[in-house]
Amino acid sequence: MTAVTASKTSGTVEDLRSPRAAAWKNAAEVKLPLQPTPLDAQPSAYVQKAWANRERGNVPSVAVRALSVGDQLVLRLEWAAPDPRRLINDNDVYADACAVIFPSNGKDAELSTMGSPERPVTTWYWRAGAPGPFLATATGLGTVSRAAKHGLQATGEWQAGFWNVVIAGPAKSTRIGVAVWSGVSGERAGLKSHTPAWHDLKVG
Amino acid sequence: MAKKAAPSRRQLAMVFDLNKCLGCQTCSLACKTAWTTRAGMEHQWWNIVNTFPGRGTPRDVFTHGGGYTKKGEPIPGDFPGKRLWGEAWDFDYEGVFGSNRDEPIPLHPREHDGAAPQWGPNWDEDMGGGEYPNSYFFYLQQICMNCSEPACVEACPRESVYKREEDGIVLIDEERCHGYRFCAEACPYKRIYFNEQRNVAQKCISCFPRLEAGVAPACIRQCPGRVRHIDYLDNVDGHIYKLVKKWKVALPLRPDFGVEPNVYYVPPTSPLAFKDNGEFDDLNSRIPMEYLKEMFGPGVEQALATIEAEREKVAAGKKSELMDILISRNWNDLLGPFTVDPAQLQRQPVR
Ligand code: SF4
Ligand code: SF4
Repeated sequence: MTAVTASKTSGTVEDLRSPRAAAWKNAAEVKLPLQPTPLDAQPSAYVQKAWANRERGNVPSVAVRALSVGDQLVLRLEWAAPDPRRLINDNDVYADACAVIFPSNGKDAELSTMGSPERPVTTWYWRAGAPGPFLATATGLGTVSRAAKHGLQATGEWQAGFWNVVIAGPAKSTRIGVAVWSGVSGERAGLKSHTPAWHDLKVG
Repeated sequence: MAKKAAPSRRQLAMVFDLNKCLGCQTCSLACKTAWTTRAGMEHQWWNIVNTFPGRGTPRDVFTHGGGYTKKGEPIPGDFPGKRLWGEAWDFDYEGVFGSNRDEPIPLHPREHDGAAPQWGPNWDEDMGGGEYPNSYFFYLQQICMNCSEPACVEACPRESVYKREEDGIVLIDEERCHGYRFCAEACPYKRIYFNEQRNVAQKCISCFPRLEAGVAPACIRQCPGRVRHIDYLDNVDGHIYKLVKKWKVALPLRPDFGVEPNVYYVPPTSPLAFKDNGEFDDLNSRIPMEYLKEMFGPGVEQALATIEAEREKVAAGKKSELMDILISRNWNDLLGPFTVDPAQLQRQPVR
């Protein structure tokens, strides 16, 4: 399984906030394949039925670059979004979003169900047009609970068919998963593309 | 079979008498001023009265899916976009009220982008159906039905929508809601709104803070037509039980949606239709029975016959319990146990 390695870099998180910052050019890129979250795991018969014949989970992969500055892990996620949704501006409009996920206890947890009561996951969530990123924990699909304080920073830019999101927060070496929501496909909640398994995360 | 909400201990229910509604929208305004004036709620009409036959709010309200099949399978629905509900229009108040103009400017409504509105709540007011001389319409109050099989509750993956144990009211916990809007797709009556600014779903709350103080919901207390009754469904001495269970003249709207609503309607009576030769058609009334059956289910024929028979009894000088309830000479009788006058309450500061 491909590992995500965040090599140490000098400077500040601020220097890396722009996805086009010079430092990103030298950071190694790994491409993580994504797959749709299983429909039978969705905690609502309505969602299972309504999405049985709908396209979903069709973002094939996400390109990840990682750097570390002090105790901060800074990630840059890049994925294809030919028809972006940058803002929720109608009843039936859903915004593009992404999240990085870590096992809360540092070792193991079920990734495709967003953890379980015994093995929670921690997630950093970014959504286009939303006021800042969210730090949250989850113990299964439908249980995501956002923290009031988060200490995270994020910037998202869409350009020429791709989202580039830089998200930074305190992290040590652990395992990591990534999820992406495609707004144009109406994805939200447990309807998303995600890495099928954990990847090792090495923070330098 | 889909997962369903746990049944409540008691169920609050309402009856709206369609034969008395004036279409005045006092109920809609009572609700608006009480609950939906804050940011992101400008377009929300938790209660709205529409002319039927008509397209309703949102446009073509009963064609957007949701609810359950006869087998209890959820039916996929959509959540119509803003254009089908109508925005909260802007008005040039300054132009209208300003005294420094020679010509008064009429109160042209405008959408936020300046365009003339193409649709709004009760847009097709009083248009109705049928051809003269057999044209007809009635007013229909649209509100959350606090369903016994609430599709909105089942649809929410976060359990943010719930049915209260003590009275069966269906509420959305805005702290839990993440704005996913599955509830709005699943509600067959399209009674859930979206607050874009706060990214939460919002709907009628049955004025629960008033109920808890013994005060009837604003739409019920302020209705000048004495259209609206409220009580617990299990109170055998109350109006709701008597109209729904005993006299069977109050019926659910679109029972085929499968969500077991707890708002019941006394169906509209209508005069006899005219035949082509201008004579009365003794067999058909102005509002086609087919249409009424589609709206209120198969019980509507008997319900109308009962109302007719009881009216005749009263016309013949006899007493009718049913007519006494529908007339409700004492206004407080409509309010069930919620007769407290809100003007007498110590008001709590708004949170
Ligand atoms: S009317 Fe709609 S929103 Fe209200 S309880 Fe029924 S399904 Fe839910
Ligand atoms: S306030 Fe009463 S009479 Fe007026 S529209 Fe509402 S239900 Fe009808």
